[in-house]
Amino acid sequence: MNPVHALIPYRDLLANLVGRDLKSRYKGSVMGFSWTILNPLFMAAIYIVFLRVLAGRNTVIAMEDIIIGVFAWQFTTQSVNASLHAFTGNPNLVKKVFFPRIILPTSVVLSALVNFLLTLLVQVPLVAAFLWYKGTLVSGWTLAIPAIVLYQTIFNLELALVVSAANVYYRDTAYLVGLVMSAWFFMSPVMYPLELVTSMSHGMPWLKDLYLLNPMALIITAYRALQVPGESLPMTPVALVGWLWPLLAGVVVLRVFNRAQRYFADVL
Amino acid sequence: MNAIEAQNLGKAYRRQNLGGTPTLLGSFSRAERRRAEEQFWALRGVTFKAGRGVTIGVIGPNGSGKSSMLGLVAGTITPTEGTVRTEGRISSLLELGAGFHHDLSGRDNVYMNAAILGIPREDVRRRYDAIVDFAGLREFMDMPVKHYSSGMYVRLAFSVAIEMNPDILLIDEVLAVGDVAFQMKCLDRVRDFQKRGKTILLVSHALETVEQFCDEVLLIHDGRLIQQGNPADVIFAYLKSYMVRIGMLNVEEHGTREVEIRQVCLRDATGRETNTLVTGQPMTIEIRYHAQRRIEKPVFGFNIKTGNGFYVFGSNTQIQKIPIEAIDGSGIMHLVIDPLSLMAGRFFLSLSIHSWDHTVQYHRQEDLHPFIVKTGTDAMGVFHLNSAWRLEPGS
Repeated sequence: MNPVHALIPYRDLLANLVGRDLKSRYKGSVMGFSWTILNPLFMAAIYIVFLRVLAGRNTVIAMEDIIIGVFAWQFTTQSVNASLHAFTGNPNLVKKVFFPRIILPTSVVLSALVNFLLTLLVQVPLVAAFLWYKGTLVSGWTLAIPAIVLYQTIFNLELALVVSAANVYYRDTAYLVGLVMSAWFFMSPVMYPLELVTSMSHGMPWLKDLYLLNPMALIITAYRALQVPGESLPMTPVALVGWLWPLLAGVVVLRVFNRAQRYFADVL
Repeated sequence: MNAIEAQNLGKAYRRQNLGGTPTLLGSFSRAERRRAEEQFWALRGVTFKAGRGVTIGVIGPNGSGKSSMLGLVAGTITPTEGTVRTEGRISSLLELGAGFHHDLSGRDNVYMNAAILGIPREDVRRRYDAIVDFAGLREFMDMPVKHYSSGMYVRLAFSVAIEMNPDILLIDEVLAVGDVAFQMKCLDRVRDFQKRGKTILLVSHALETVEQFCDEVLLIHDGRLIQQGNPADVIFAYLKSYMVRIGMLNVEEHGTREVEIRQVCLRDATGRETNTLVTGQPMTIEIRYHAQRRIEKPVFGFNIKTGNGFYVFGSNTQIQKIPIEAIDGSGIMHLVIDPLSLMAGRFFLSLSIHSWDHTVQYHRQEDLHPFIVKTGTDAMGVFHLNSAWRLEPGS
């Protein structure tokens, strides 16, 4: 059966799982939602100060670009980290109750999405304020952000499916994921702009092409291009491949996940 | 049309999965890979059918594969071989409170758990008050469930679970929750499901419940379906052979064996050999003994304990002043209890033959003979007291 269709009778469950996650996140601490905002803000502040100290006033990246990068990056890390325990954290549920297994990682990504949308409510005005201070206006394309959010959500969901299932079979997946995420952070334009890679790859165009196959490079750059006037998105055939391959990979990921989920109850 | 059809159903687990958590690094080592190839069959070659509206009991010792079987029918476990086909919506009362979130209130957890069990949100909203009243937790609904007692926890979970309206209901050992009053409510609800024509698969160690509710019983041992048939027969076979043989009962046998209890059988009112007796009807115990030599003034004794060790009654031929001059060779001692005033439950019969001055124990069988008692009425308790009412109005 089509896995998306199979989900329809379980809308309530999905909604409840997302609600449970958000409620327990915001109920537990007095600061509640503030932490969700403060966390990326502090990270962005640290990078900005660090880069200023390291590279002086003429850093290669603007403050608003760092803020956009850190917020977008956080959406993906949050999805991946939370999905590690989507199944291993709910063994009773998986072993005792039948429901499409895809619901658990999906709920994790959706709750990260809700968080991200809430942080965007702060991030977009903040970036607009920085731009206004510099004498420019935030781009009208900002309104197109939801399209990139949708794409990133699908991409995060694929990562979540892989990571959550892998962690059921191999409990040291978390360590590997930790390593990969730190490496990936530096291989994605979070603390630097895409132009840095462009300028570095003079004489080696394949380096930039390779770089553009990283969907996070495209996603983060797209957020910047939509909000900051004058920043652009690479429109090369390689970039197109970079945008498309995660969607095609989704078919494979769904297949593999469907096979893997059959034996979850045996291993948990 | 059958509601459940299992054909040659089997489930194998890999040893690796049983012995600790697999790791990515471990999978590269050869020893680990070899371990992964070893298999352990939790269930194999099980074939059975459950017609619509039928209640089937599954009994067997711990670790015999009962829960695996329910998991296979529920679809949470994928069979290694064979097939299981089900007709209609399945819900399971397998793990109460699976998916409860400790930080959330009772109210939030009701909705959460209902969603897990596939109960439409609208139904829960409409039935919310009934659920809360059934659990008897009205004043605690806004409290996080982490502050609940374990009894409150399962009561709430059960109250939600019984709101399900499935075609097939799987029940795994969950009827034994809460106090006696709550258990009665639960059993009433199961009866209600039966009346509405639901198919029920019931796993339980409470044999009297199985006897009372099921139309058919499957006996599973070591992953094999040993016997299936009408409840009284299968339970009899289980009690008679399995529980004793596998040491489930804390049985003990000792004595000099100068007189030996060779065979014991329990008979009901019709004289049929059985382990299921009925309250208010006679119970006959036949003790076939063999004395190696002539024994002067032997004493035959018996006692009955409940399933949880409560000593119900004990007596012997000396106390009851039954003179026995001597025994030699083989014979049968008949012990009649009439009427049997025990209420529904599981009991153990102990028998002994000893010398008149209690100095020599010839043969004592402690808790060796299990039996269950069925009760025809709704009265409750351990004993049936012959009670009469007389109303004298206006005096």
